[in-house]
Amino acid sequence: MQITINGNVRELDVDPEMPLLWALRDVAGVLGPKFGCGIAACGACTVFIDGQPVRSCVMPVGQVSGAVTTIEGLGEPDALHPVQQAWIDEQVPQCGYCQAGQIMSAVALLAEIPNPTDEDIDKAMSGNLCRCGTYPRIRAAVKRAARSMGEA
Amino acid sequence: MTLRFTIIGISVGAASLAAIGAFAQENSGLAEWEKVYAVFSHPRCANCHVEDESPRWSGPHYGATRVHGFAIGRGEDGFGNPGQRCTTCHFETNSPKLHGPPGAPHWHLAPAEMVWFEKSSAEICAQIKDPARNGGRTLEEIAVHVRDDALVGWGWSPGPGREPAPGSAQETYEALVAWADAGAPCPGE
Repeated sequence: MQITINGNVRELDVDPEMPLLWALRDVAGVLGPKFGCGIAACGACTVFIDGQPVRSCVMPVGQVSGAVTTIEGLGEPDALHPVQQAWIDEQVPQCGYCQAGQIMSAVALLAEIPNPTDEDIDKAMSGNLCRCGTYPRIRAAVKRAARSMGEA
Repeated sequence: MTLRFTIIGISVGAASLAAIGAFAQENSGLAEWEKVYAVFSHPRCANCHVEDESPRWSGPHYGATRVHGFAIGRGEDGFGNPGQRCTTCHFETNSPKLHGPPGAPHWHLAPAEMVWFEKSSAEICAQIKDPARNGGRTLEEIAVHVRDDALVGWGWSPGPGREPAPGSAQETYEALVAWADAGAPCPGE
């Protein structure tokens, strides 16, 4: 089947019941989205379909109905997405394993609510777990990104 | 004189028969409604017919019914909040994994005015009959919606580890039609 991943049309020979995450990581070689729980309960695998976040560890690849964007598609190393830059500026990650999913959810939130309150952040990101407990820095980075995107 | 008493007797008898017929019709209607209520009040249906912001989770492994994890909320359109839409985790089909997210087309919460969660049979019955709180539907349209809507149908095919709603979509449709034909009686409080 054909899937657009980060702007590139890819032809993948996969079972339509295969979770999208498997297709991305094991077939397409896109390694940003991570496997955490396998039941959409941790958020590490979060990617976008047409700009909306989905947990790719559960979504059957045959149900992908739009363009897939992963953490690799947000920005370039020399032109980071403002949320990625805010993550660096706040030194958010510890082990880093969940952070690709965290950033995807933050981008999805800021696309709809440019200046989120703490409550907005909780409602958007409570499905993204961080075993290192970086939540205070995640919250600070979301607000920093909101400010920088507002100035842009 | 005899004729007069006979006519009165026939009149009284006809009135009694009519009353008995109406009573029987109401009883049969109420019996049909109870089949419908058993479905609508079941957790597979009622957990997403809530009047507050939070869908519910329930099942043997939860103990008591609880609010959906992850701070999931109704959002402005019933399809969740920015960053965590219902369809972030709920796709077209059930996850085959135990405790994985269930799925059906256009997964979302019912509007708050269509509340069933923790409501009595009488309260749900009154809501179903009220066009201002049933999406402007006739009883026939409600019956067809219950029979044909894919998200409603999920209640009888909820995926691994979840008890399905009683009966079937077709049986619930037939109960709704029979209830409506019997005058759509509602139970007392």
